[in-house]
Amino acid sequence: MRGASSAKWVAGAIVIALAATACGGGDDDGGSKGSGKAGGTFRMGITEPVAIDPYNAQESEGILVTDNLFTGLYEPTADGKVNPALATSKKVSKDGKTWTFTIKKGTKFSNGEAVDAESFIRGWNRVAVKTAASDVAYHMAGIEGFADVQSGKAKTMTGLTAPDPYTLQVKLSAPDFEFYIKTTHTVFSPVPKVAGDAKNKAYNEAPIGNGPFKMQGKWEHNKSITLVRNDDYGLTKAHLDKVQIDILNSANGVTLEYQGFESGQYDWARMPTPQLPAAKAKYEPQGEWIQTDTNGMNYLLPITDNGPLKSAKAREAVSYAIDRDAIIKGVFQGMYTKSTTILPPVFTDVYQKDLCTSCIKQDKAKAKQLAAEAGLKPGTTIEVAYNTGAGHEEWIQAVKQQLEQVLGVKVKSTGKPFAELLADQQKPGATGMYRFAWGADYPTPDNFLYPLLDTASINKDENGKVTGDNRGRYSNKKFDDLLAQARATEDQAGRNAIYKQAEKVAMDDVALIPLWNRTQLRLANTKKFDGLKMDFHEDPNLSEITMK
Amino acid sequence: MGRYVVRRLGQLVIVVLGATMVLFACLFVLPGDPVGQIAGSDKARDPAVIEQLHKQYGLDKPLVVQYGTYVGKLVTGDLGTDYTQSRPVTEILGPKLENTAKLAVAAIVIDIVIGISVGVLAAMRRYSIWDVSATFITTLAIGVPSIVLGMIMQRVFVIELDWFPLIAGDSFEGIILPAFTLAIIDAALVAQLARSTMLEVLRADYVKTAVAKGLPRRTVLTRHIMRNSVIPVVTYLGISFGTLLGGAIITETIFNWNGIGLALIQAIQQNNNPIIVGVVTISVAVFVVLNLVVDLLYAALDPRIRLA
Repeated sequence: MRGASSAKWVAGAIVIALAATACGGGDDDGGSKGSGKAGGTFRMGITEPVAIDPYNAQESEGILVTDNLFTGLYEPTADGKVNPALATSKKVSKDGKTWTFTIKKGTKFSNGEAVDAESFIRGWNRVAVKTAASDVAYHMAGIEGFADVQSGKAKTMTGLTAPDPYTLQVKLSAPDFEFYIKTTHTVFSPVPKVAGDAKNKAYNEAPIGNGPFKMQGKWEHNKSITLVRNDDYGLTKAHLDKVQIDILNSANGVTLEYQGFESGQYDWARMPTPQLPAAKAKYEPQGEWIQTDTNGMNYLLPITDNGPLKSAKAREAVSYAIDRDAIIKGVFQGMYTKSTTILPPVFTDVYQKDLCTSCIKQDKAKAKQLAAEAGLKPGTTIEVAYNTGAGHEEWIQAVKQQLEQVLGVKVKSTGKPFAELLADQQKPGATGMYRFAWGADYPTPDNFLYPLLDTASINKDENGKVTGDNRGRYSNKKFDDLLAQARATEDQAGRNAIYKQAEKVAMDDVALIPLWNRTQLRLANTKKFDGLKMDFHEDPNLSEITMK
Repeated sequence: MGRYVVRRLGQLVIVVLGATMVLFACLFVLPGDPVGQIAGSDKARDPAVIEQLHKQYGLDKPLVVQYGTYVGKLVTGDLGTDYTQSRPVTEILGPKLENTAKLAVAAIVIDIVIGISVGVLAAMRRYSIWDVSATFITTLAIGVPSIVLGMIMQRVFVIELDWFPLIAGDSFEGIILPAFTLAIIDAALVAQLARSTMLEVLRADYVKTAVAKGLPRRTVLTRHIMRNSVIPVVTYLGISFGTLLGGAIITETIFNWNGIGLALIQAIQQNNNPIIVGVVTISVAVFVVLNLVVDLLYAALDPRIRLA
């Protein structure tokens, strides 16, 4: 559940390719992946992460490192599915409250310690304890005993046990048939005994893990992180010898990446928006252009319990009045794809293209008619707030013009620094619309629908401030009931069918106004590396690529 | 003299206290809880996490108490803990300060070498082709913003010609372009200043006297002309060192130079108050100390000036 400002949002990984010292070291014992050569150094750049220790790794950059240092029970695939990693089997009780995982025997941490059920329990408790103050601990909220550990009453979660060294049993406080999907998040990584608690600085800076790569030296803050292949990796071994990650400043990291790719020093790069057409024209014919809709969405977030957009018809009128195609062409140079759903297209099993009928094409007549029915009179003021400095000014301006032209309303658009915008969304009496984006932490529709739209996610405190992620204050019992029903359904296909119904309910209410998909663009050095792709976290798939 | 230094250092304490107090008050009135959201993200922090962080950073206490605690720690050289990674501010800013200092010193050296030699040359050969082109080039250099110059140099020397590394690292080549970008405007100003003061000094009676009594040209130049014309330049350089810290924000951003200018920008974007206060406190202290050094230097260069 990660929403973001453009700055961090777009912050994927950049790869600075060192003139590949094709040191032939390391025989290709990865084997199964076929013909590619082992060896090579992959240099890339990121912006400074919050943490690379699984206890608090959270954004694309931190996850890039942590995900390569650690391997958990399951792993997400780029197209929104889940593959087993260290879990050899999973079993869930009929009531959905007890999960039993068997863990692959014989795998080790890079310090030689065995990876067993205990190391998972150790890792999870380490995150959940109060003193860790982890931003990602909430992923474990469903585990029995989590509340006591969070409040400082206990040190270990009662729900975690190891009936035998390679069996992990997890008791949940409420049924959750998707718990195994959550374990794809790096916060569910196992850790060795030396990890100590979450405040262990030495480990925070140079985590010892069980992943396809291991740290060389420690995290040089604002400078670099170096990974080398873990030759004792328990699953399919990586091919690259080394990954050199430079840490660039967030103010112009994107520009540096692009310049680096142009000058041949980088293998992977984001691009500054104005350069996109030129970059596409140059690199697409050479097969070095990657364009993917990832697991994120861009919306306008209407406040549904207050102000001019309280009625669903008013929101639909707004949606009809927006010409998404024109904005994508005019502002984004055609690089985004229009979105017509709440869930991203990457969730292929539940994707219902064109579910949002008002999103498909601008319809001025319909917009006017709906506005009249909803009592959204010409001259009404609609506030639209966005965060400054993240490239939102232009399209907000376009939306403003379109709404004013079509509906005759007065749009008051306000740019604010990010922290202010968030505080504004949360405060009682918020009104109008906000620029909003969301991305999933693990591949399940629930990760969009529950936090953004369930009544329980509004979570007002005693002053009426919204503390949950449902900032639009959308509340519909039918929707809530469907989500509860989906969550209580064991079988994946059945569950997905209900999620689709729930999405339709929310879409009929226009609880969110979809704008465009999270289309990610990268330059990738496919001339030197084989199999280079963008993964679920929008990072390069380091553990799979090979030298050509 | 000793008392003068002590008094000036006493002022330093007051200025630093004043600066931190103003900043504290300003940051406090900003909306949004500094630990209320994850840095740079739409996602609100878990209430349990917020509570724990508030306790950890003392944010649950009144502002006056927070300020008191801050000042108490400041005296022992502790600048607090940052909000994103929970690392000590001194540990974060230490290496960055060193980097910025390296850059600033390199820039000052360039200022002195280029500025004074161009200025002296121009003044000695007044109205020659050297003088005219020096005036032209320095005026041009003052007019071009350093952000433009920096980006052009990066494009030409890094991307096209590949003479310098894109990411500076610790190498000597890495410092050249950023230092030059940072120095260029000041170097031009120093050149113009050196030229005009030197022309003034050249017309002074004591120089005429020195020449008239038959001192060798070299002696007149170094002992009488240079020493007298360098005083305004030193004053200017002292002040410009402070503005270099401001210029460093732009230069460090362009060249990914890991200094305190860059740290300040990022901290502002992230509401990372301890870093903001830390950078400003350090800058204020550096500025005041440098001004003191300049004043002392002034007295050393010009015996007529007595400090009291």
